[in-house]
Amino acid sequence: MQQRNNYTEIEHFLADESFQLWVCFKDDQQDWEEWTLENSNRAKLVEEARLWLLAMKVPNTNLSTEDVQYALEATWEKIERAEENKNGTSRPIIKLWRNNWFSGVAAVLILSLLSGWLYNHYIAPENSVLTYNELINENEEGLVEQTNNSDKPQIITLSDGSSVLLQPNSKLSYPKIFVGNERKVYLSGEGFFEISKNPKKPFFVFANEIVTKVVGTSFRIKAYANQPNVEVVVRTGKVKVRSNQLIANSKDELIVLLPNQALRFVRQNLTFNKITDITQDESLSHSASNIEQLGFEFTDIPVAQIFKTIEQAYLVKIDFPQAKLKDCYLTTSLSDQPLPEKLKIICKSLGNNTSYEMNGNQIIIISDGCN
Amino acid sequence: MKRQILHTDTLDDSTLWSNLKKGNEKAFSTLFKKHYAHLVRYGNSFIPFPEKVQDCVQDVFTDIWVYRNKLNEDVVVKAYLLSSVRKRIARLQERDHIFRLSTSMDSVKFLFDFSIEHHLIADETTAAKVSHLNRLINDLPSRQKEALYLRYNQDLTVDQIANMLEVNYQSANNLLHRALLSLRKEWKGNILLILLLFQSVF
Repeated sequence: MQQRNNYTEIEHFLADESFQLWVCFKDDQQDWEEWTLENSNRAKLVEEARLWLLAMKVPNTNLSTEDVQYALEATWEKIERAEENKNGTSRPIIKLWRNNWFSGVAAVLILSLLSGWLYNHYIAPENSVLTYNELINENEEGLVEQTNNSDKPQIITLSDGSSVLLQPNSKLSYPKIFVGNERKVYLSGEGFFEISKNPKKPFFVFANEIVTKVVGTSFRIKAYANQPNVEVVVRTGKVKVRSNQLIANSKDELIVLLPNQALRFVRQNLTFNKITDITQDESLSHSASNIEQLGFEFTDIPVAQIFKTIEQAYLVKIDFPQAKLKDCYLTTSLSDQPLPEKLKIICKSLGNNTSYEMNGNQIIIISDGCN
Repeated sequence: MKRQILHTDTLDDSTLWSNLKKGNEKAFSTLFKKHYAHLVRYGNSFIPFPEKVQDCVQDVFTDIWVYRNKLNEDVVVKAYLLSSVRKRIARLQERDHIFRLSTSMDSVKFLFDFSIEHHLIADETTAAKVSHLNRLINDLPSRQKEALYLRYNQDLTVDQIANMLEVNYQSANNLLHRALLSLRKEWKGNILLILLLFQSVF
């Protein structure tokens, strides 16, 4: 900041980022105010530079976050077309995917051989391969696999704005972009799903032998390949569960679950046990993660505290301008919303000058205070 | 708001860039979300077809991903993006024959108007000064205006601007300097008059 003492032209000020921040956002971390007043010649120059900045505003684009998201999806589609066109180079990519999937298939086969003699005769081997063949077919939509090898839950945001909190030793496969009339993802292990509402595009989670269908709710699925049961626990909304029709002997049973209900699927004999009150079930009520226990109903709560709740629930880190938001209180209900939607609602409630950026588990709130 | 976002850090951009080169889709998406809106706005200042502009910007990103192996490692990402958008729009105009037989980058005109930070202006004297200055800036030749925009709103360096506008460093510097110099002279000359007028009106 010593260099500003040598500023002699308004150009120097205009190009100075901290000066811009001070003028346009009243963000005076470098004490421009004080520095200006030290010297009257300086004050004249500063005043003129300020007027320039005020006269050179660039209007905000009228693109919303959704518009940008939509454009991103369109771009991925363009990329796929472009890669198909330049056949020669696209081959290795497709091949790579296939290889991954074949090794995935191999892993599943080995697992089922090792641990699965009990229910092996229920599931014809070619049937379980079929499930993965389906996955391979879907690859052309560009299926992405995310594995959580860490010891903490990991947040994944999907292209439709849904979010999944993936537990350690779990993985989720999902398309980069959801195309068509259905949203399908594949889970191995445990995850807490918060699905953005879209009745026109139901959301399916394929996990072991069961398929869970929702339109927009939050629920947890636990489906480890090496455990005898699959569990579905519903927090909000309505969830439908059936067994995967690719399994021989599968019953045409459809279970509907409402909030605080759960389902335990016994893989050995393919039976569903509905649990109508999860608080009565010891193992279920103990396994609830942070996110399920924290409340997201806020009444006149400082926004800093709301951010803290989100940090705890999703194990993310939120950076926000603390000083500017210290007097901001919100009353809002965020219970039934995926993480991006929660952030969007908070930003909207704080006012037009607030937005967020998300990069992995790092979230940055950009704001110059609330209305 | 724009300004603040652009400030977050250029370092981050280059990390994203090198991750993207390694095939990281998340880095690509992040970079896209970070820059899409302002690139569209920049593009919109050349042609009055918002849909075509969005298409161009998306094509720029498509090429980046498809040819990511051939990308240069050490580029200033923002300058690269802005310049790619500009080139693509120039090419589009050539193809569509909006301008006949023009092959140079001069064919694209920066038809953009700066506006005024009204909400930061408290008193009427300042308001009068700023709106006068704003008019003068908007009356500048389009290249000078573009240079100002790239320098002070997008925070590019003079070098990067020279590159984008396909002129040498000195010319780019002149573009910027002349714009400011002439304006300041005119503005200073007029400002007294303006103020007098202003006071007699109100």
